[in-house]
Amino acid sequence: MKNNIKVQRAIANITQEELAKKIGVSRQTINAMEANKYVPSTVLALKISHLFGKKVEDIFELDEKDA
Amino acid sequence: MKQHLLLPNKYKKFGWFLFCPMLLLGIIAIATNYEAPWLNLKTFALISGFVFDKHPAQPGFIEANLTNTVLGVLFIIGALLVGFSKEKNEDEYISSMRLNALLWAVLVNYSLLIVAFLLVYELPFFTVMTFNMFTVLLLFILRFHYLLCQNKKALSDEE
Repeated sequence: MKNNIKVQRAIANITQEELAKKIGVSRQTINAMEANKYVPSTVLALKISHLFGKKVEDIFELDEKDA
Repeated sequence: MKQHLLLPNKYKKFGWFLFCPMLLLGIIAIATNYEAPWLNLKTFALISGFVFDKHPAQPGFIEANLTNTVLGVLFIIGALLVGFSKEKNEDEYISSMRLNALLWAVLVNYSLLIVAFLLVYELPFFTVMTFNMFTVLLLFILRFHYLLCQNKKALSDEE
């Protein structure tokens, strides 16, 4: 699964640390998601999209590996 | 993905205080067959007996050296506290690393045991069994902290 959290974060102009605090996870988790090393739970994906005021599909999408 | 079976973070430090010295003392005790004379005590045994006894002894009080008992019990308690206390910033990603490390440890542990089964026979095999009682926890703790470290490193590379 791919995501554009890094882009969304740049638009909202917040750091990994700030995003982590707002959704109640560690900075490692944000970093691992941005590096596509970790696929978040549905709960976390929803929290992130709510925070950016977007739909989940606007931030997360399937990639070739999920086929 | 909340883990309900984890202890609060404060127990982890206490776990390290037991785990580290017991690991060291345990290895020394196994390697040198050491039995502390002051641990020759009377203790309750549900099951006991020797290799040549046809039947195990009835439950009751026996004289025994408790060096292994003390080391083993304290090591396991320490390792459980270290491995199963929450991290300071425990979240779903750290929980998934914990489970990954546990899976890795079980696989590596039993792979090593297969090798030992095939290559080690007679008395030395008891030493293998003795170590194998503790290696799942040991491998798990090593792997989990290796993953945590790698992750911290990935963070500092980012900065």
